[in-house]
Amino acid sequence: MKPSQKSKPSPSQLFFVSIFILYMIVPIIATYIFSVATRWDRTILPEGYTLDGYREVMKNASFYITLQHSLILSVGSVLVSLIMVVPTAYWVHTKLPSAKPLLDLLMILPFGIPGVVLALALVQVYNFPPINRSPFLLTAATVVFTMPFMYRSVSNNLEAVDIPTLTEAAQSLGANITNVLMRVIIPSIFPGILSGSLLVFATVFAEFTLARLIVGAGFKTFPMLLVEYTRKDGTIAAGLSVISFTIAWIVSLLILWVSSKGLKTSHDVVRAR
Amino acid sequence: MAYLELINISKNFTNVVAVQDFNLKIEKGQLVSFLGPSGCGKTTTLRMIAGFETPDEGTILLDGEDISNIPPNKRGIGMVFQAYALFPNMTIQENVVFGLKMQHKPKTEMALAADKVLDLVRLKNTAKRYPHQLSGGQQQRIALARALAIEPRVLLLDEPLSALDAEVRVALRGEIRRIQSNLGITTVYVTHDQEEALSISDLVVVMNGGLIEQIGTPQEIYRKPNTRFVATFIGTANEFKGIVESENRVKCDEITISTTRVADHSIGSKVVVLVRPENIEVFDQRPSGMLVNIFEGEIETITFHGAITRLGINAGGKIITADVTITGRSALTHHQHVWLSFGSDYCQVMPQV
Repeated sequence: MKPSQKSKPSPSQLFFVSIFILYMIVPIIATYIFSVATRWDRTILPEGYTLDGYREVMKNASFYITLQHSLILSVGSVLVSLIMVVPTAYWVHTKLPSAKPLLDLLMILPFGIPGVVLALALVQVYNFPPINRSPFLLTAATVVFTMPFMYRSVSNNLEAVDIPTLTEAAQSLGANITNVLMRVIIPSIFPGILSGSLLVFATVFAEFTLARLIVGAGFKTFPMLLVEYTRKDGTIAAGLSVISFTIAWIVSLLILWVSSKGLKTSHDVVRAR
Repeated sequence: MAYLELINISKNFTNVVAVQDFNLKIEKGQLVSFLGPSGCGKTTTLRMIAGFETPDEGTILLDGEDISNIPPNKRGIGMVFQAYALFPNMTIQENVVFGLKMQHKPKTEMALAADKVLDLVRLKNTAKRYPHQLSGGQQQRIALARALAIEPRVLLLDEPLSALDAEVRVALRGEIRRIQSNLGITTVYVTHDQEEALSISDLVVVMNGGLIEQIGTPQEIYRKPNTRFVATFIGTANEFKGIVESENRVKCDEITISTTRVADHSIGSKVVVLVRPENIEVFDQRPSGMLVNIFEGEIETITFHGAITRLGINAGGKIITADVTITGRSALTHHQHVWLSFGSDYCQVMPQV
């Protein structure tokens, strides 16, 4: 159970880890710096620093509207996904294990179908009011698009916990079905639900293709605004990216904090078996 | 009247008979083991007592009350599972009081009960920890404490030690027996380990293929097995196939065995004579005196088991297993020529099936 004794990493291990970290982190740092740079094309470091980009963003009414739209879309997608995927995953695991391969297959489809194709297909099929080109259709699309994230997280967690035996243990101790679900099953798979929600939220918040093609200007989202600014003003676009990152991080930390209050850590539960 | 009674219980799964015509009476405070190979129906029977399976036929009476149709959460029966099944998201304390919480017991009462049962399994200091922080043996003791906290009418244990190391297994089975007899709690214990069943039970139910082979005390099961299955499943037995020659003689291929128990087999019928290895004596020289069933052979294998040494002796092509103590005798060697003998009252005669 205990991690093996840590030995000093070798130079080659250090080298590969450093390359990986740099690869991941340099673009982010660059974006942060670019968002506060005055001019950064003739020198290694920017020539000067300013918050003008952010001031410009804050003045813009569409910033608030698109932010609001994206938040609504992300939270909505998470909720719909929870309602649809969690009970399905639970039933498949406990009562219908023969359906597991089918669901596994279904969950690969969103990765195989390009967003453009999905969006155009939906626009064609649901070409009638009130859902045509509505935020509802967009939510439905983003739920489909991010379903694997939710399903996989929940399903992996269900796999790690022996749900049938835990259910029977709780029943033998006098728990009815509501108590079994609320006190035993859901808390046991809570880490999976949480990480699934986080992935869905972050993906939908940054989603551009579906939003652009399904609702277009009718329900402008944050990434749409960002793309718009990349054509106009790179500094402001960088600022918007920074805001987007920051929101994602705040949400992640918030969820991790909430989870650490309810449970010790998600790690504990997954390791418990 | 018996405290727990299973009457004519049968259960089929799709195309498979799991349990057939199961009848058993358990007195209050007894520890009864269901013993048998996997697939013999022992766990299915246990799960029917718990309420997780419904019998197709038959009745289960607990203290005179028919519980066959009561859901598991209303039976007041505690259960311990092979996989511990502790709730991973709860501390040990929360796990232990879960059953009392379901009964809406006041907090002070729950705390007292938790103290009591954790003390009973000698793990009082683990209350604030999480299940994954304990070893397998500790987790199983907590599972036992959790089942005991509700003061169950019956305690069911489903192969509780199978997932543990040999050393922990032996220690914990003693612990289970100690707690069980201290509390006087009626217990049903499912296991495929004959040594486990023999060592802790008041009564052993040997099962095979969904049927009860024999019900008896551990001594009865070991010394007077009713069937060939029981004799060979429990402990080791030498088998000699032969034909009944006279009232107390069985003619086998090479040898003729004197027995005392052929009375219920007619002359000429095909039988098998079973002799336990520890009932066979081994001599360096031809023994003199009143001994019967003396055979010659050559030592083929010698396996040291600590207290005893197990010999495989080739007697006219048939390998006979004999257990001997090596203290006080000259050393045994491979290919040594020996004589062996067993008393006729150690012979169990059963029909060949």
